[in-house]
Amino acid sequence: MAKDRNADIDFAGPVRRILIAVLAILLVATFLVWRIDSPRVERFRDALVDRVVPNMDWALLPVTKVVGMVESARSYSRIYEQNQQLKRELQQMKAWKEAAVQLEQQNAKLLAQNQVRLDPQLTSVSGVVLADSGSPFRQSVLLNVGARDGIVDGWATMDGLGLVGRISGVGERTARVILLTDSSSRIPVTIQPSGQRAILAGDNTAIPPLDFLEAPEQVRPGDRVVSSGDGGVFPSGILVGEVAKDRDNRLRVRLAAEYDRLDFLRVLRSHPAERITDPGVLIPPEVPPLVAEQSRMLGPQPDGTPGPGPAAGAAAGTGATAGAAPPRARP
Amino acid sequence: MIDPATSRRWSLRLLFVGLAIFLMFLRILPLSTLPPRIPGPDLLLCLALAWVLRRPDVVSAPLLVAVFLLEDMLTMRPPGLWTLMVLFGSEFLRDRASAVRRLPFAVDWAMAAAVIFFITIGYRAVLALAMIPRPALWMTAMQTVATMLAYPAVVGATHLVARALPGPPERDGTPRGLGRRLGRRA
Repeated sequence: MAKDRNADIDFAGPVRRILIAVLAILLVATFLVWRIDSPRVERFRDALVDRVVPNMDWALLPVTKVVGMVESARSYSRIYEQNQQLKRELQQMKAWKEAAVQLEQQNAKLLAQNQVRLDPQLTSVSGVVLADSGSPFRQSVLLNVGARDGIVDGWATMDGLGLVGRISGVGERTARVILLTDSSSRIPVTIQPSGQRAILAGDNTAIPPLDFLEAPEQVRPGDRVVSSGDGGVFPSGILVGEVAKDRDNRLRVRLAAEYDRLDFLRVLRSHPAERITDPGVLIPPEVPPLVAEQSRMLGPQPDGTPGPGPAAGAAAGTGATAGAAPPRARP
Repeated sequence: MIDPATSRRWSLRLLFVGLAIFLMFLRILPLSTLPPRIPGPDLLLCLALAWVLRRPDVVSAPLLVAVFLLEDMLTMRPPGLWTLMVLFGSEFLRDRASAVRRLPFAVDWAMAAAVIFFITIGYRAVLALAMIPRPALWMTAMQTVATMLAYPAVVGATHLVARALPGPPERDGTPRGLGRRLGRRA
């Protein structure tokens, strides 16, 4: 028996070498293809993740919930303290609620006076976090909403409190959210109240730094940071967090979203900002109805030469062209 | 009638795939989405190296490649590169598996640690060559050290699991479990 086995191994040696070489070449090819044509491979990856991860859904969600319950059970030991603290906070909240109600009424009044139309397109799709990136070096989560729910790459994602990240990679049933803490995340932000523009650049830490800040001396720890909407991808005015200073006196942002436990996320349907591409045209004086009627009756010439209507219109520089256009299309 | 050694090999193979999927499952659980301060060990790599040293016939190269490619895809790594490194490292160990089996566990551990170290360096070198952004050096270093330290624990744990697996003992008299050497240690 033992002799048999040895013979088998000897026999398999060269075959094994070839197999290893083939595998290695295939892997190098995969890597090179990814390096050269990354979007295509990333789409394949999205599709694969879309096939694999939702199948684990039945286990992922319950396990996450159970661990969450165990952790909250651990906090029952401090229940009395927490109760006291909550009561205090509730008192403060009541005061704030009163202020908010008054502001809301005032706001409604002012809006009515101004006839402001709020953007009706700023609606959202909610999803549950299925999985995280699985790597300590990448910060992303997988949501259980995807292309079939109309999710599009680049949309902003927030939890109840603040901005969480940006959609990057959409499968049929899942979508990946690159968190603000990921080292490839760059978000344009505005710092209030100074109005400074900056870029929030993720660096794989819990409090990402602010980059490209023009006048850092105008920014103080505790200032609010909101998304600025520069570049037209993100809606503006979403709360991101507040400014904090780290030990090296570098300005960072303490994020408002609850990053230690992302559960339900809202994907904001944002539509690309409308661009003005028209350079602007002459605004012609209004054509008296009689002229328009005349040019319509002249109509196009049968031999295909342009009718006098447009020619006259162009020569006169009036809006007669507009009047002549419909009858030309009619025959 | 299936040869008992073959059926044993296939059940161990299934066990390996099951353990690998379980580890990946644990890692993608969205328990905390904060960036970790200290990255944890790469348990899947430990598992693969430990099994290659103990049962090279069970963890064949194509199986290893399939498992690690899936991991590459799920954890947003550049596909293929880490798998390639693991393939080289595991082949290096596979050639020495029978020799290492006769030596004390410290040698086994040292060789696995060396492989972990060198494939991490190789991985980072290729990333640098291809101008792909790399995670911070100290993070990678921490993870490498954590992986090296986790290796004995993974060896012990998989040995326990393998012993619990039903099936006949090996034909040539090796005890149940992953192999003779581990049996002696336990």
